[in-house]
Amino acid sequence: MAPPAQSQRSPSPSQPSGKGEVSDLKSQLRQLAGSRAPGIDDSKRELFKKVISYMTVGIDVSSLFGEMVMCSATSDIVLKKMCYLYVGNYAKVNPDLALLTINFLQRDCKDEDPMIRGLALRSLCSLRVANLVEYLVGPLGSGLKDNNNYVRTVAVMGVLKLYHISASTCVDADFPAMLKHSMLNDSDAQVVANCLSALQEIWSSEASSSEEASREREALLSKPVVYYFLNRIKEFSEWAQCLVLELVGKYVPSETSEIFDIMNLLEDRLQHANGAVVLATIKVFLQLTLSMTDVHQQVYERIKAPLLTLVSSGSPEQSYAVLSHLHLLVMRAPFIFSSDYKHFYCQYNEPSYVKKLKLEMLTAVANESNTYEIVTELCEYAANVDIPIARESIRAVGKIALQQYDVNAIVDRLLQFLEMEKDYVTAEALVLVKDLLRKYPQWSQDCIAVVGNISSKNIQEPKAKAALIWMLGEYSQDMHDAPYILESLIENWEDEHSAEVRLHLLTAVMKCFFKRPPETQKALGAALAAGLADFHQDVHDRALFYYRLLQYNVSVAQRVVDPPKQAVSVFADTQSSEIKDRIFDEFNSLSVVYQKPSYMFTDKEHRGPFEFSDELGHLSIGAESTGTVVPAQRVEANDKDLLLSVSEKEESGGPSNNASAYSAPSYDGSSVSAAASSQMLSELAISSVTGHASQSSLAIDDLLGLGLPVAPAPAPSPPLLKLNSKAVLDPGTFQQKWRQLPISLSQVYFSTMT
Amino acid sequence: MLQCIFLLSDSGEVMLEKQLTGHRVDRSICAWFWEQAISQGDSFKLQPVIASPTHYLFQVVREGITYLACTQVEMPPLMAIEFLCRVADVLSDYLGGLNEDVIKDNFIIVYELLDEMIDNGFPLTTEPNILREMIAQPNIVSKVLSVVTGNSSNVSETRPGATASCVPWRTTDPKYANNEVYVDLVEEMDATINRDGVLVKCEIYGEVQVNSHLSGLPDLTLSFANTSILDDVRFHPCVRFRPWESNQILSFVPPDGQFKLMSYRVKKLKSTPIYVKPQLTSGGGTCRVDVLVGIRNDPGKTIDSITVQFQLPHCILSADMTSNHGTVNILANKTCLWSIGRIPKDKAPSMSGTLVLETGLERLHVFPTFQVAFRVMGVALSGLQIDKLDLKNLPNRPYKGFRALTRAGEFEVRS
Repeated sequence: MAPPAQSQRSPSPSQPSGKGEVSDLKSQLRQLAGSRAPGIDDSKRELFKKVISYMTVGIDVSSLFGEMVMCSATSDIVLKKMCYLYVGNYAKVNPDLALLTINFLQRDCKDEDPMIRGLALRSLCSLRVANLVEYLVGPLGSGLKDNNNYVRTVAVMGVLKLYHISASTCVDADFPAMLKHSMLNDSDAQVVANCLSALQEIWSSEASSSEEASREREALLSKPVVYYFLNRIKEFSEWAQCLVLELVGKYVPSETSEIFDIMNLLEDRLQHANGAVVLATIKVFLQLTLSMTDVHQQVYERIKAPLLTLVSSGSPEQSYAVLSHLHLLVMRAPFIFSSDYKHFYCQYNEPSYVKKLKLEMLTAVANESNTYEIVTELCEYAANVDIPIARESIRAVGKIALQQYDVNAIVDRLLQFLEMEKDYVTAEALVLVKDLLRKYPQWSQDCIAVVGNISSKNIQEPKAKAALIWMLGEYSQDMHDAPYILESLIENWEDEHSAEVRLHLLTAVMKCFFKRPPETQKALGAALAAGLADFHQDVHDRALFYYRLLQYNVSVAQRVVDPPKQAVSVFADTQSSEIKDRIFDEFNSLSVVYQKPSYMFTDKEHRGPFEFSDELGHLSIGAESTGTVVPAQRVEANDKDLLLSVSEKEESGGPSNNASAYSAPSYDGSSVSAAASSQMLSELAISSVTGHASQSSLAIDDLLGLGLPVAPAPAPSPPLLKLNSKAVLDPGTFQQKWRQLPISLSQVYFSTMT
Repeated sequence: MLQCIFLLSDSGEVMLEKQLTGHRVDRSICAWFWEQAISQGDSFKLQPVIASPTHYLFQVVREGITYLACTQVEMPPLMAIEFLCRVADVLSDYLGGLNEDVIKDNFIIVYELLDEMIDNGFPLTTEPNILREMIAQPNIVSKVLSVVTGNSSNVSETRPGATASCVPWRTTDPKYANNEVYVDLVEEMDATINRDGVLVKCEIYGEVQVNSHLSGLPDLTLSFANTSILDDVRFHPCVRFRPWESNQILSFVPPDGQFKLMSYRVKKLKSTPIYVKPQLTSGGGTCRVDVLVGIRNDPGKTIDSITVQFQLPHCILSADMTSNHGTVNILANKTCLWSIGRIPKDKAPSMSGTLVLETGLERLHVFPTFQVAFRVMGVALSGLQIDKLDLKNLPNRPYKGFRALTRAGEFEVRS
């Protein structure tokens, strides 16, 4: 039971302690219960208000149930409402006492005032006590036929509530058929809308067991039904319109002319004041035209203005949700938005997550005609007070440079960043210059001149340091004092905390050695010695490997460590296009905000309407409160596998731990980048444990940049239910396997955990 | 499909909990949320959609009150956010402003409102007019009335009639002795001026706000002189689409009281009414700041409430700023606020001063952004003009009033 637990956990001084006050209230309620004195309602109201305020702050007042019910005989509607609220809150834990309330609720369902009839019916259905369902059928049946629309609206939702308490009672009483009748015939739009939402839920969950239900569900998407809703759409409230639009989005028209009819009919919805309606309409448009390329493009043009307006109006929360959708569309069709790049300029006041989205969009829409202005704008952000954004914008400049043909001006800007003498700016710029050189080796002369002036002492960040070291190794011929810089870095080996930097240092000193042997020999020896003594496994292994390679044959070593490189033409995208398509299919849903398709963060049973268990929610919350604090990293992980996290983590720590090592999709395709090597080395370590000799040799080849494909896909996934802790499985596959497990398993698992 | 709505105070206390479906959401989710909010600071607090281990949370913050909604199923995020925004609007409309105490004093009304606004997790009606008919507002009149009559029920005697009417946003048959209607054009100018003083972006977001007190079922037609400048428009549901499409005329049956008839956007404006020219020169551990403000493009009406403010960078030890007009204040959060008011005829306002940098810093590397605010009464800077307003279906001649106002929105000047 929630409220008492809360009151124990956070006793706030402003809150009453509970016990004494509750018993006080109890006796006062008793006194009032029998009284019929005039003005009694006012004193009752004061008392009820107190009870409910206790309930609201989280004190358990369920012990007053009997007294509250006794006092509920009143004609005052506010008293009734408070009483309904109270009863609704506590009936579930007091099923026996709840029986007492049935009587007065049923009586109220026959009141002459439709407002009271409706309220009573709503409360009756909200009791949610399984053994009271028999009392619901009668009032619901008459509620559905009531001549007042308010009562009918409530009754329709009541049917749905009944269905969730006891599906069989609901189906046996033939309520779905009655709802269908009202849906197609009722004069009130809200009743129709409620019927639609109730039927969608009922039929989708019935569909698995009953053929008739699945047929009915199909029928909802049939042409007559969809047209019926479309023709009435203007009668519906804005929220109901969202519901109808969602239905239309699933409808597959049989002819092209239908598509145009629907779009014509719905066009004015794009001008609706409610953003949810606009976005739902946009989804319909996009879905309908998917197969018609040029119309699809016109749709983009048409929806551009409403989307941009939605972003600039409304609260920051709304514009964030819209912006996420805009982001998706911009990424799909950047050329359509390229003339609107100014809309993606960041405002000083915007929260940083909005700025981040905007920066990505600016990067995407950059083309020959607007690059100059966009880069100018981005450069202004580099001096921004908000450091993470300053970094992002430098990265954005770099990305634009990598995707453009004419990078002349951009390279100059990047080099200017290096001269700004701001540590994080220099750091970001160094990483970018490194990437740039890998794509455009012809710029090396200009870049090296500037990079050579940077003192390695001023650079603290591992990524930047690694980039600098990489350049020192790669261009040691052109950089006069490269061997000496490397040497001084090696002297401070002990102070270098990042393994990534040490790995790069080893490789760079090797490359330098091949180009300028006499100057580097001493440094190489020192580096190999330090590397062999290193406590970090990867560093140690690499040093050992270089050492043996040199022993074996120096020219082979050179071929392995410092082969002539081909310029990288395209850097791999972080997200596959397949995933992007999936997200696009789920337009106007949470997937877009998370930038992940729903299967990645929610599991199958939660995708359908309402099939979740209370236990799941309680269990994981409970687990958290016993464990100290939820670590942030866990929340991050939960983005991927929400709702399943608890069971999954407990059952098999292995795969989820491996997840970090196997984040393959983000691998940027570099040949000898440190990240890649360490990834492969760690893989090597793992595979040597499991004794796959063949794989390990492959990994070494790979590590040395011999041009073989990136590590082969991990061993075929083990059969179900044999998840051992060493399983080599990437998270995606694991998720899929996990989702295929029968649901009962997870249920069993929960019970064993508790 | 929302499962639960919580209202949290600015100290994280649960002020109100409204379960919407049979799947009870435990309160501990709020504790989780609050821990996250505290540990992650502002960036998290602003994120409107959050994934907790068990639920997705939508949050909207208004006046220190956090509206938190939970769900476990996929749903359109904008729908949840829009709904929470509406809840906040309706509550503040009902209770006359919002704060912790108001909510605590009126939580019964809040419960009643939520009860009518959302059922089983699906939003029903958020139209204030309909709600007002179902649940009476706790205003002074009803308080007086309750003292006099002894009847303090806040439920009106009438039943929700509008829900049945064909114009759901309008109360059935209101009656006024004086029929009046006011149309306001309210515009916000968003502009960005870059380091070189170039106007990189200048846009106007405008709203047509109508306050209508008209008897019966009036039919209004509003036309503009120059609709071609509008880039995109959005309408209140009462606006008929066809007349707009064919003749750019707004034809509608208005809701009663204040509402937003239309919002629009005008982009690519060429100039701003005032200029702000900041100049920063730094060296030797200090930074000299000079800011000049003046009229660039006289709109014909007085520009008032001009302020210029900027955030002092972290690396600044002290700031000494003075101006030849208006007042300069350094606020507690290291914001320097220069309130100018109106620009005098005889001189150009300027602010100047010196910032002392942290020891060890030679020059200033971060450049502050200057945020400008102003207000111009009586003119819509986008140039939009109302042509005429026709009223039909009215018993007697109503009074018509028109106003216009432009103020600065996100008006920023980078240095």
